[in-house]
Amino acid sequence: MNPLEITLGIMTAVGGFVDISELVFAAQAGSNFGYALIWVFALGTIGMMVFGEMCGRVAAVAHQPVFNLMRHRLGLKLGLVALIASMISTLITTAAEIGGLGLVLHYLSGAPYLLMAALSVVLLGATMWVLPFKWIERSYGLLGLLMLVFAVALVAIHPPWGKLAGGFVPQVPAGLSSKELLKFGYFMVAITSAVLFPYEAYFYSSGGIEEQWGPKDLPNNRLTTTVGFALGSLLAIAILSGSAQLFKPANVGPQLPGTSALEAAIPFGRTGLLVALLGMLIAIAGAAVETCMANAYSVAQFFGWEWGRRKKPWEAPRFTLAWLIFLLLPFGIVLTGVDVMTLVEYAVLFSIIVLPLTYLPLMLLARDKNYMGKYANGWLANGLGWLFFLVVTLAAVAAIPLYLLTSGGQS
Amino acid sequence: MLRRPLVLLLLVAGCSRGPGADLPYVSEARSLAAEWALVNEQASEGRLTGAYVRTMRQAVREQLQTTAKALTEPNSPYAREIEALLREPDAARPAELRAHAGRLKQIEDDLESA
Repeated sequence: MNPLEITLGIMTAVGGFVDISELVFAAQAGSNFGYALIWVFALGTIGMMVFGEMCGRVAAVAHQPVFNLMRHRLGLKLGLVALIASMISTLITTAAEIGGLGLVLHYLSGAPYLLMAALSVVLLGATMWVLPFKWIERSYGLLGLLMLVFAVALVAIHPPWGKLAGGFVPQVPAGLSSKELLKFGYFMVAITSAVLFPYEAYFYSSGGIEEQWGPKDLPNNRLTTTVGFALGSLLAIAILSGSAQLFKPANVGPQLPGTSALEAAIPFGRTGLLVALLGMLIAIAGAAVETCMANAYSVAQFFGWEWGRRKKPWEAPRFTLAWLIFLLLPFGIVLTGVDVMTLVEYAVLFSIIVLPLTYLPLMLLARDKNYMGKYANGWLANGLGWLFFLVVTLAAVAAIPLYLLTSGGQS
Repeated sequence: MLRRPLVLLLLVAGCSRGPGADLPYVSEARSLAAEWALVNEQASEGRLTGAYVRTMRQAVREQLQTTAKALTEPNSPYAREIEALLREPDAARPAELRAHAGRLKQIEDDLESA
């Protein structure tokens, strides 16, 4: 194992962990319920580690990306349903990310929002066209480390560390009214969805194949998915905790994505604000690339097209056309003027519904000794895998009723 | 089997009117007032960039206008409070904005407990 590669892999996972949905829901969770939802982020992250590790292992051993598995394990009809559902959810997520990029550039420059969203699409398209997979992943992931400013800002405002640590213990705050309990439930579901977005599985497993992983890469996969995701999740928890400390007492339940940047501006002034906005910009841009590519990977793998960013764009023309379309379609959604926060809510809602369909075939293959040989799931991976499959299935069932009953977490 | 509860849920969640239905908007307006106050407070101390302050104030105002239009009870005390908030200048004093947020919070709490 090359220590530099491992360090880079872990740092990339940290920098690439947070996206617009986590930014929004972490800040709102902290302002609404203080530290009480930290454990949901922690639990979701363990789920992400379990499924992420399986994705990487299956990619390295069976050389199968997630959508190949879906078609083979679910059959053509159910596989097609899963493909369409995941395409819609990932498309909405890309639109939310592009809208988020437009907003952050708008906050930074003062230039019109839609113009900035258009500029984002051009820049994203250019980097995806020019850079090979490894450098797309690395550059966005490493620059995304600017998000560490939220963790440093949290330390600077001296939060009550005891209460914060208590947030890691699974809990439902005492004394909540029935409306507040429903809202708490909605946030639990939304955070689980935001942490376990299905596009992350598609992107991560396709990335393993892009980088031609083999069994020798399994320790690296394990370290990236455990240490990298855990550290990345701490960034989201820092945003939640900063919000609990600064926004909750001020009656702020962030309605604008830009409000989160105040968490760094309050202790560090303009420098903090700029670093936070730049970190958000890169983190959201990285997620936009991942969602867009994830959709193109899914379609190409499902229909058996040539795919991969290790090839020149013209060597995999249908795949290239697919990612271009999956970049432009969401921009079309943004152009309709739909609010970014609404897009984030829909992205989270649709994603949680798709999650069980994403993870079931993965679970089935990862435990299959015929495919995986000695690298098949052990008892721990099986136990945790089925436990989290149950969690995401319950969350998927509860998502729409909770969304309707709480007006998307507003009441 | 699941159709009937879902339809009922949609009716309850989507078609109601009155203060209960307006609660999410009151909550949104309360937060926007508080966000505006926080931005103006930090801006007055020179801790934010000009572009950020301008765009955040503009976004708050636009969202408040959307919220005000969405209310099902346009002559209610909360609708009047949101209108009063919208009449504040961009660079309003944080204390003024916090007072609006406080009044909206009070209304929100009353509606929630009703």
